[in-house]
Amino acid sequence: MILQKMQLAKIAATLVTLSVLLSACGEAEPQAAGAPPAMRRLTNEQYRNIVADVFGSQITVAGQADPLLRTDGLLAVGARSAHITPSGFEKFYGLAKSIAQQVVSEDNRAHLIGCEPANTAAPDEACAKQFFTRVGRLLYRRPLLPGELDTAVSAATAAAQTTGDFYRGLSVALAGMMTTPQFLFVVDTTEPDPKHKGQVQLTAYSKAARLSFFLWNTTPHAALLDAAEKGQLDTKAGLQAQVDLMMASPRLDVGMRAFFDDFLRFDQFETLEKDSVIYPAFTVKVVEDAREQVLRTALDHLIERKQDYRELFTTRKTFITGPLARIYRIPTARPSGNAWVPYECSADDPRAGLLTQVGFSALASHPGRSSPTLRGRAIRESLLCQKVPDPPGNVDFSLFEESGTNNKTARERLTAHRTAPACAGCHKLTDPIGLGLENLDGVGQLRTTENGASIDPSGDLDGIAFADAAGLGKAMHDNPATPSCLVDRLTAYGLGRTPTSGQSAFVAYLKQSFTNDGYRLSDLVRRLATSEAFYAVSPPEPETKPVQAAALASQPQEKAP
Amino acid sequence: MICFGLSAVRTMRAVGLVLPMAVLGLCQPAAAAAAKTTTLGFVVRDWFTAIYNSKFIDECPEGLATSNDETWWRGLSKADRARLTDNGLIQNLNRMPTAMRRGPNGENVCLNPTVVQDPPMRVVEGKYSFGANLDGNTDGQASAKTCKHDNFTHPDGTPGIDNQMYRLIGCVYGWRRGGLPELNAHEGRGTSGLGMTLIEITGVTDPRNSPDVTVSFYRSVDQFALDGSGRPLPYSSYNVDVAKDQPRYGDSLKGAIKNGVLTTARGDVRLPFYGNYNFLHPTIRDMDLTLEIAADGSTAKGSVSGYYNLDEFLYYVGGMVGHTSTGDNCPAMYVAGHQLADGYPDPKTGECTHLSSAFNIGAYAAFIIHPEGSEPKTAKTAAAKP
Repeated sequence: MILQKMQLAKIAATLVTLSVLLSACGEAEPQAAGAPPAMRRLTNEQYRNIVADVFGSQITVAGQADPLLRTDGLLAVGARSAHITPSGFEKFYGLAKSIAQQVVSEDNRAHLIGCEPANTAAPDEACAKQFFTRVGRLLYRRPLLPGELDTAVSAATAAAQTTGDFYRGLSVALAGMMTTPQFLFVVDTTEPDPKHKGQVQLTAYSKAARLSFFLWNTTPHAALLDAAEKGQLDTKAGLQAQVDLMMASPRLDVGMRAFFDDFLRFDQFETLEKDSVIYPAFTVKVVEDAREQVLRTALDHLIERKQDYRELFTTRKTFITGPLARIYRIPTARPSGNAWVPYECSADDPRAGLLTQVGFSALASHPGRSSPTLRGRAIRESLLCQKVPDPPGNVDFSLFEESGTNNKTARERLTAHRTAPACAGCHKLTDPIGLGLENLDGVGQLRTTENGASIDPSGDLDGIAFADAAGLGKAMHDNPATPSCLVDRLTAYGLGRTPTSGQSAFVAYLKQSFTNDGYRLSDLVRRLATSEAFYAVSPPEPETKPVQAAALASQPQEKAP
Repeated sequence: MICFGLSAVRTMRAVGLVLPMAVLGLCQPAAAAAAKTTTLGFVVRDWFTAIYNSKFIDECPEGLATSNDETWWRGLSKADRARLTDNGLIQNLNRMPTAMRRGPNGENVCLNPTVVQDPPMRVVEGKYSFGANLDGNTDGQASAKTCKHDNFTHPDGTPGIDNQMYRLIGCVYGWRRGGLPELNAHEGRGTSGLGMTLIEITGVTDPRNSPDVTVSFYRSVDQFALDGSGRPLPYSSYNVDVAKDQPRYGDSLKGAIKNGVLTTARGDVRLPFYGNYNFLHPTIRDMDLTLEIAADGSTAKGSVSGYYNLDEFLYYVGGMVGHTSTGDNCPAMYVAGHQLADGYPDPKTGECTHLSSAFNIGAYAAFIIHPEGSEPKTAKTAAAKP
């Protein structure tokens, strides 16, 4: 029986492989099963982007929502299972109230409300309706349902009557709208699929939302919603046209920046701290710039210059600021201020690629020293999509940290550490990689010695030996898991969930296409955004779906005005 | 260099290459095969007059010098004291402007130090001083370049030390260790970015031992980059002050590095200076520099000695604000200064115009950026070190 199952599995795998190869040759997208519809809580960045897009960048968003739980390597996936606690709701309400007050303030009302009430001291349903019809469409990412619009207008009317101020009434209703699940969660709404009886498909508005959050990390703009309304997103040509437009926009940078921020786990920068006595040059500005440098390098390499993703680990082109130049110990004509200038190191510079940038090396280090283990783990988990088990709770650190030992370098300390059998298994996964970056101290400054002893930066990545950090970058470049991981993460990021088993052929197809396309991110993004699989959904699973989601998922049955 | 910014290539010539980079082998000179030299850069943070303070002020046997405020106060009748100080309620600092305008016609005596005649200033009478033997002799006899003066002995026993600046101000409490004018000037330079001196060492074959280097002095137009505790961060970049495609400063001395210690021959060097709200551009004549570079190359400390123009020094003292806090008395210092000047006699009068002097400095590794098109001045071949 087991043998039969194994044979069947082999056959299935072979079929998948053949299907992928054939489809890749012909550039045909394989059929992929959809996942059940879901709802994702907005991230802090999405919330800010939406507020800026709908009301303008002059509106201050002073606060943050509760953090999301990283799931399968991505916050974007964790957003799918996010709940809003009572205290979390209070934060959202505080934000919404503050934003709404700013929107109706005397400075902004003339250009944000779009109409003037007949009497500012009384309700004006016509003006309120006009405002919420326009704004609600952008906030809910679809036209408001009649009941929703009535609720908003009624709330504005009641509050205006109570306060004797039309604008305060509008503000109360807007704050209420911005604390509804329809705004705070990106909800997959479905409708019957006319081509496949018994199946469902995403509504055009949900397609627009999925596309917009993927490419621009914000709510769909009015033109995209118009396209959805006209059914243009339901045709291959119409969808491609919208994707082309969005990818040609500089706002693609915003979307891809959000992806890499999530992919590289840069939310950790929010809590990154270093010992200022040991690393006096690692200032708050350096933290900010280090994060930006990696993102800027990645976007320039991948989006602006459309280069091979793998070369991100070997490229010597980057950008620097004055504070970063001090960490890198390089000259700059712009030592102060926030100016970014292109920078390139020559071929014999030890620094090459993303891993040698401060943004990576400092993040994956302890506050007062480097950590080959943390760096190795970050590479495995973030960049190669491999899981490294957590350390056991009873680790005896005295083996390598006690004073009086002769372990001067991290390599020596970790060698001692690995004598403990319980530790050896996992450290074999991480340390041989991370030791390659030991020429970079805890904040990414170059060094050749540690405690007076010479540092040996050689290491090994999955059987490929390397001599130093640049060699590690080359090993990353050549490792098949490197591009494969990017495809996995990008797909999960766009879908808002880890691809299901029914989507494995599609993911394999994307990987093969990525290879064929020369590992160019923009091609991968376009292929994903224009694929059928990206928008495919399966019928909801009522027994596992949260009540709120189920209720919301059923809402499209009601016709929009 | 092998590391370069793209914009740098377009707009500047970055010549400041800091010691550790060379040590680590991280960057090499572009023309490595041809010259195999590199450049070290430093920005001067500390600049303090070298003052020898004994524990019991033995060097000032009559006590510290009388300040302008005290001199003014002594000259007043009791009635005037009451009248000019609101019956004593006006504190020293606030009566300073009045005390300064004690010339016969209300002149400011620091701007017009010859309008009154004050008692002689108390000057240093001790045996010891920091500094160097600038004139090459140990007896203080006059020469073509010097006037007769008394020599000091260095605390390490070296005889023949010339330091008439110390003799002049060593008994003024504001100039002694921890005194206000020095600390205020130090603080002002740290926070304003004014008067910042850059030291560039070119022709370095080995950061710890280079027999023939050129040391050039520039002014920075960039402020210090500071850490959280207010100290400069090493390896910051500083642009050279340029006017009409030429560095505004840029005098050079020949030198050598031995076991990490840079010493230079002597030569005339014009330096930028800022302190106590005054700008100076003193040319220190026969200046030399000794700089002990830390093993990691991030910092350096050392000393400067040479002949300091008396008029510039008196101008600086006279222009300082807050003389009540410094203890200076300009008229007395003017007279004493001219009596003590020991260098560079005026050809017409024979009176010396410069004070032998010494300063302690502290510096941080820096990249010195020369805007494109601004060529450093040609290094001067300085006289052999005495």
